[in-house]
Amino acid sequence: MEANQTHSGLTRQTYRRLVYAIIGVGILGLFAGFILDQHIAGTVIYLLGAWIGGAIAFITPKLSSAKLQDERDQELHNRASGLAMGISMVLGLSLIPALYVLDAGGYVNLSGAPGGAILTASALFLLYGVCFGVVQRRN
Amino acid sequence: MKNDLSAQREEQDLSQGDLAQAVDVTRQTINAIERERYDPSLELAFELADFFDCSIEDIFQPDQDEA
Repeated sequence: MEANQTHSGLTRQTYRRLVYAIIGVGILGLFAGFILDQHIAGTVIYLLGAWIGGAIAFITPKLSSAKLQDERDQELHNRASGLAMGISMVLGLSLIPALYVLDAGGYVNLSGAPGGAILTASALFLLYGVCFGVVQRRN
Repeated sequence: MKNDLSAQREEQDLSQGDLAQAVDVTRQTINAIERERYDPSLELAFELADFFDCSIEDIFQPDQDEA
């Protein structure tokens, strides 16, 4: 039995703060650009924040000697994803097919933003189904 | 699932951080296991048992209603 008591390098707390701060700056930049009518600058700041923050979030745990993520993080992520998908599925499956039928019958008009949102949700469910099938085949 | 991880760890005079580093997880995970808010994977349970040189059942016990 042995326990290495040295804790060097990036800590989990610093890692999280760094990622959230960079992505937060990107989101603030996007809103600032929108409010100040500097859309290109806002978009560039947002993309930089999202890409740099995302890259740090993805790469740092692989390079750092400190343990920044583990099986519990994966479990929490899986549970949150499952819950979000479950809620979306229940709401989506209970509404979307009926809306398509009503649209075909001319009772509702699924165009514009609502139509786009429903199409996006349908695509998300389809993507989930494909991903589930792939994961199921591999396990 | 109930566990005696906290007692086992304190018996060895280890901090949560020490144990986390020894079994290659985060301190938060050890804390969550000790508070019985997270059931570790079988792999981690084996690692913990191996670390304390005991069997898994010496650390983890099923809840009464699960048994």
